[in-house]
Amino acid sequence: MPDATTRFFEDLNRRGYEPLLVKTSGTIRFDLREGPRTSHWTVAIDRGRLRVSHEDQEADTVIGISPALFEELAAGRSHGIAAILRGDMTVSGDPRLVVQVERLFPGPPTSQGPRRHVQREAR
Amino acid sequence: MPQSNTVRILDGSTFVVSEDTGDIEATPSEPTGMFSLDTRFLSRWVLTINGERLNTLSYDDLQYYEARFFLVPGMATHYVDAKLSIVRKRAVGGSFHEQVTILNHDEKPVDLEVRMDVDSDFADLFQVKDEIVNKKGEKYAEAEADRLRLGYHRGNFRRETIISCSRTARYDRNGFAFTVHLEPNEQWSTEIDVRTSAIGPGGRDLRMGLRAHGTERLALQQDLQAWIAAAPKLNCEAEHLARTYQRSLVDLAALRFSPLSLGGSALPAAGLPWFMTMFGRDSILTCLQVLPFVPELSKTTLRILASLQGTRFDDFRDEDPGRILHEMRYGETAAFEEQPHSPYYGSVDATPLFVVLLDEYERWSGDVSLVRELEQECRAALRWIDDYADLVGNGYIWYERRNTDTGLENQCWKDSWDSISYRDGTLLPFPRATCEVQGYAYDAKVRAARLAREYWGDPEYADHLELQAAQLKERFNRDWWVDDGQFYALALDPDGGRAEVLSSNIGHLLWSGIVDHDRAERIAEHLVGPRLFSGWGVRTLAEGEVRYNPIGYHNGTIWPFDNSFIAWGLRRYGFAEEAATIANGIIDAARYFDGRLPEAFGGYQRELTKFPVEYPTACSPQAWSTGTPMLLLRTMLGIEPHEGHLSVEPSLPSGMGRIEVLDIPGRWGKVDAFARGRLDLKTLPD
Repeated sequence: MPDATTRFFEDLNRRGYEPLLVKTSGTIRFDLREGPRTSHWTVAIDRGRLRVSHEDQEADTVIGISPALFEELAAGRSHGIAAILRGDMTVSGDPRLVVQVERLFPGPPTSQGPRRHVQREAR
Repeated sequence: MPQSNTVRILDGSTFVVSEDTGDIEATPSEPTGMFSLDTRFLSRWVLTINGERLNTLSYDDLQYYEARFFLVPGMATHYVDAKLSIVRKRAVGGSFHEQVTILNHDEKPVDLEVRMDVDSDFADLFQVKDEIVNKKGEKYAEAEADRLRLGYHRGNFRRETIISCSRTARYDRNGFAFTVHLEPNEQWSTEIDVRTSAIGPGGRDLRMGLRAHGTERLALQQDLQAWIAAAPKLNCEAEHLARTYQRSLVDLAALRFSPLSLGGSALPAAGLPWFMTMFGRDSILTCLQVLPFVPELSKTTLRILASLQGTRFDDFRDEDPGRILHEMRYGETAAFEEQPHSPYYGSVDATPLFVVLLDEYERWSGDVSLVRELEQECRAALRWIDDYADLVGNGYIWYERRNTDTGLENQCWKDSWDSISYRDGTLLPFPRATCEVQGYAYDAKVRAARLAREYWGDPEYADHLELQAAQLKERFNRDWWVDDGQFYALALDPDGGRAEVLSSNIGHLLWSGIVDHDRAERIAEHLVGPRLFSGWGVRTLAEGEVRYNPIGYHNGTIWPFDNSFIAWGLRRYGFAEEAATIANGIIDAARYFDGRLPEAFGGYQRELTKFPVEYPTACSPQAWSTGTPMLLLRTMLGIEPHEGHLSVEPSLPSGMGRIEVLDIPGRWGKVDAFARGRLDLKTLPD
């Protein structure tokens, strides 16, 4: 069973296209740093078309984050924008790409969405 | 002036609120300080000379970003015989800059110990607002040879205030001091620079230098001049109207705010001091108000809100796919998820209003490319209305927060806890649906149908939206009409009960066009009738309702922005005189606030108080109050875009005299509008 991080990127790659990014072009790289080891994931976006590689490539935006926190993000248990504000995730380069890509992460697994009201009497 | 004696200067999300001496002594109940990124970076900033506090002779807020204080030593007495005078001149623009100048008027030399006491509590704006400063991280202070560094950290969250002076100073952990010798008629001066930083572990500032304009004083000055030069000119006989317009234009420039993530484009922040950030509702409504004057704000607002549109279910943030955000914050409580504003989505009106603004913007600007660019977001917004907002399944927009801890109970513009009640005063259960939001949904569908037909090449979708809109209008007029009062209910409860109270919300219904034509006259009569209209404006809740209170935040005060949309609505249904009555009252009220309309003022009868009583903790300047005079001008002039031209159909009170608005920008290029006041407003009390 792969971890949520690998699943997240593999899923992006498999999809190959993300309508939410149709107005976005650029390359974003995630540097997952743990001690001396850094694992890189690069996502190239061309008006919604996606290409993901598990490599260190030049990018317009570079995200620095711990593998543990990324795992939380990929599972929806942590929130990207809050992590940036906390300083737990750093951004260099074009910040617009982060805001767009952040929207691809899942919501919290415990969130249920709108609660429908059951009416007591028929109208 | 019904204003407290604080002096406020601001630039985007950085602002300084001080006493009229220039000093800052923040306490839980005294929200003064220097703020940036929703964090207080200075909570103490007190100047003394030989240990003595200073006393104000006068102060000027020269521009929104700069102020000057003229001071003498010692406390206030009837007779000031000072041998020294002190001038503090300060400006914000990215950092905070203060120049202190001391002049010796004595014929003898003097030796002075000049000291500034400095501290910062790094309070989150939410903590200041709620008067709870309970820090979980650690504060530190480091006095270096050439600067004082005050800091706060909690994990990787770090904020610092760095103070340095142009002259050599003695820095200690509580401030800095100078020993000054002045010969007769000599003067001494120093420049003090206060920088804020929000540094992440990589040593990079969160803000990364993103700004709409330069932060130097000269750049700010040029930017303001260019801003004013680009806006239409107003020439008029009524001096107070000219002053109000000018004030609005400058305040709007001050309230421009560049979110961190958007490459420097600006949108209107909601208001000083609590709301210097982006708000879906406030930013959209302000853009709608100022479209004829400053159209470019709409484009950036729409793009920014689109780029942050909800994509998933997040119960903590009340986020759903397609929902437009309510509020974004950058402080510690948002960072550590003690507050949900990263961003928070708990508003039900921003989403339909987003569609309304896009259509209105196109009608003025002819910017078809933006309509095409945002097609996907508009469709997602309309899907949200149908799929996720209808919690009861009867075709209306409802709200009930899923974040029961820190989410908003009332997700309409009247968002205080007690704003939605039945006739007997009891509050409605959840979910709730308020009337004006149904109007916005109707308007969004009608307008989106036009966009779909004309620009998205999807006539079937247009037909579908028009059918939905027609059914909504019919349903609404059946379910919400209160027969015994001849108005629309304020709200519905989920079991069919109605809040049958008379409120200002019915005016928004006119603006949206959901009111049946044969009922519009009754609504117009209520709006300028004695229960709702005070002589200055329309009260949020009518006199005679159980919860009516002339200084009840949403239960009786008068909100200028609310009135501007009501006037627009009256005009839309042909009630030009009623619209002019409201416009006239609000613009008259602006006289008492030096041309700067507050967020809200008391609902007292005009004859009773003779002047409008400012609501105690009202925000000022506030974006949608700032936009109000512009929408009232539009309403009185009757300017409307029609294809390639602008039509003008003035309906102006005679007291306004002659008005000309020159160079109104739009798809027609630039055109002028002229009007002369001919309406005799008999219904007015004076």
